[in-house]
Amino acid sequence: MRILLKNFGKSFGAVNVIENLNLEIHDGEMLALLGPSGCGKSTTLFAVCGIHKVTAGQILFGDRDVTHVPSQQRNVGVVFQNYALYPHLSIAENIGFPLKIRKESAAEIKRKVHEMADLVQIGALLDRRPAELSGGQQQRVALARALIRRPDVLLLDEPLANLDAKLRLEMRSEIRRIQQETGITAILVTHDQVEAMSMCDRIAIMKQGQIVQIAAPMEMYDNPVSDFVAGFLGNPPIAFVDGALTGSVFESSGIRIELPSAAQRNGGPVKLGIRPENFQPEFPQKVSGEVTFVESQGRETLYDVRLDDGQILRSIQGHAVRAGVGERVSWGISPDNILIFDEKGARL
Amino acid sequence: MNGSKSLGLMLLTPAIVFVLLFFVAPVILTAVFALTNMSTATGITGGAYQVTQSSLRKLAESYGQAELANTLAETRYTVNEEGLEAIAADGADARLVAEMRAKLGGRSFEKRRDLESAIKTLNSRPRNTRALKALSDTFHRSIVNERFESADAMLRATTNLGVALSADQKSALADATYTGWVWTTQNFTRMIALPDTQRTLINTFIYVFATLAIFNTGFALVLSIATHYMPARPAGIFRAIWLLPRISPPVLYVLLWKWLAWDTGFLSNFLANFGVAPRNWLLDNPTNAWIFIVLINGFVGASMGMLIFSSAIKAIPGSLFHASEVDGASRWQQIRYIILPQLRWPILFITCYQSLSLLTSFEYILLATEGGPGGATEVWALKTYLTALNNYAGNLEYGYGAALALVLVVVGVVLSLAYLKVFDFKTMVRPPRIEQ
Repeated sequence: MRILLKNFGKSFGAVNVIENLNLEIHDGEMLALLGPSGCGKSTTLFAVCGIHKVTAGQILFGDRDVTHVPSQQRNVGVVFQNYALYPHLSIAENIGFPLKIRKESAAEIKRKVHEMADLVQIGALLDRRPAELSGGQQQRVALARALIRRPDVLLLDEPLANLDAKLRLEMRSEIRRIQQETGITAILVTHDQVEAMSMCDRIAIMKQGQIVQIAAPMEMYDNPVSDFVAGFLGNPPIAFVDGALTGSVFESSGIRIELPSAAQRNGGPVKLGIRPENFQPEFPQKVSGEVTFVESQGRETLYDVRLDDGQILRSIQGHAVRAGVGERVSWGISPDNILIFDEKGARL
Repeated sequence: MNGSKSLGLMLLTPAIVFVLLFFVAPVILTAVFALTNMSTATGITGGAYQVTQSSLRKLAESYGQAELANTLAETRYTVNEEGLEAIAADGADARLVAEMRAKLGGRSFEKRRDLESAIKTLNSRPRNTRALKALSDTFHRSIVNERFESADAMLRATTNLGVALSADQKSALADATYTGWVWTTQNFTRMIALPDTQRTLINTFIYVFATLAIFNTGFALVLSIATHYMPARPAGIFRAIWLLPRISPPVLYVLLWKWLAWDTGFLSNFLANFGVAPRNWLLDNPTNAWIFIVLINGFVGASMGMLIFSSAIKAIPGSLFHASEVDGASRWQQIRYIILPQLRWPILFITCYQSLSLLTSFEYILLATEGGPGGATEVWALKTYLTALNNYAGNLEYGYGAALALVLVVVGVVLSLAYLKVFDFKTMVRPPRIEQ
């Protein structure tokens, strides 16, 4: 079902958290609300599920205006960060809770619970209590409970934040698989760009209560609208170099780069964004500096290179270590993939 | 013994001493006293032997020695050496003394007239009636109301009286006239036999159950859940108001209730406006007395449950409420499926703690109705107190009181164990089964 937020605003007392936010989530789409802590992404999610009352604007599920509908009648499924399983109920009772509230027959509840348990693969744990389950299993139970009554929209609030790294990887693909199998519209709230990029059809990146950019993950990665977006996506993160642009030549006290596709701008201060994969020994535009940090990640090695004016560039390269700390290197930048921002951070 | 062990023991010592001194020892003493008939009359040290009207009645009724009792009750005149020496010392004629010793020595007369007739037959009898009366008086023998330090002394006196006793009669007499305490199980048979006991039992049940169910858990739950759904400030004020009865001095608190309920009190004055005759609402009938007793205790007792339940509700993660809301649960369903199950432990705690404390608490009843009207609100603990420690009759029955108290101890322990069973203590502390 299509979800639409029109001029949505939310304030707590005198504090305006979100103002005039517009967002459309397509039917069957999984959208990530990505942003740093306090950007309003969870507030938006809680407004969609009705836990927070909306202060301004409208929320529509399909054509139905749910702005003032209490959460009990909204038909949303929510997976909370701490899963919020009912500790005194068995797993089967947890999953069947939304149906029990609706007074469905016991047989019907049982059938649906088993169906859901099969979908999230926890059929063997139904008679346990939440405290007897591991984090990943609890996560699956929370998903099953959110999905059992076929909600119009599935809301996931930092669902992977409490899992260890290995489980996080596994649940990432699990949640995506389940979302695609059920074809449900979903909103994922996360501060982890990897989660957002790997799980979602589109990402809405938020900053201080505003949506900065909405785009498909790769599109956003390649064409960020601002240095904030560029800095948020990508791991290891993009490096920024301040300098001035004259014609198509970028200059700072440390480097000078010819930018073939750069927007023409005379003598203005700009900021270059150079992703680690675009700073490699074989690339043409050579820049020299001193290696200040080497981090071996197994398959790849990450280098920090300090330019002569003190600014840092990052490079990520294949397995073999090519330089040690303190060594001077002269590596190249791929000019086609350089991102240029003005001094306020807007993309040029 | 290593250092940490002895340190642990040392730290435990005050607790152990405390438990022994203030719990174990009193319980043992109670059990000991319960098996005696100690009272103000017997004292708590040993007693003496005394033939009194009541001990003679006891001798007749409990020992089947009615005849002996009658004999002992009678005033007797016995001519014995003791009496003869006494009249000789009083300056009686030596011939009279010798003649009495020879002719009447050892004889016993039931009536003064019989003795006097016998004396009149003597050759050296006194000349005038006054001397005769004085003479016969000297031979007057009775052990009624006389106090003896030992059973032997009493039995000797009985023999002196001219009453011959069989072995059975001796022991019966010693038992019946003993004024000290003795070991007995009569406290318990008496407790079972008395119709009062059943009444007190029912009273106690009404008191504990009504106060506990209506106020200490029921109303406390209502208060805590209501304040949970209230905004923080009014909720805090509301809770503070319900704490007031708990922090006011009990005597003044009950006095306020009395002012409310007396026939010249607020209720009567207010209702007089509607033509209701003034009366003492607290004591005028058992139903009213019970309503007040439950209210007085409940208003005090509800606050503790309210605090415990409120903090327990606060401890429930907010996300559970959010989750249940989006799962479609109304407030009632939230209370039923989220709050109440989460309050299982606190409710167990309050039920246990409060039922035990209500079982033994009687101060508010003592202050308000003193068990009245007519014993209608006399609960077990109050009865125990009045029996053993404070009553109008003045005879404090320590032994019977201890027996009553012992019942409370046993009930308390049994109840505690039953609560743990009912609330399934073992499964609640069972370690979780976690699989990674």
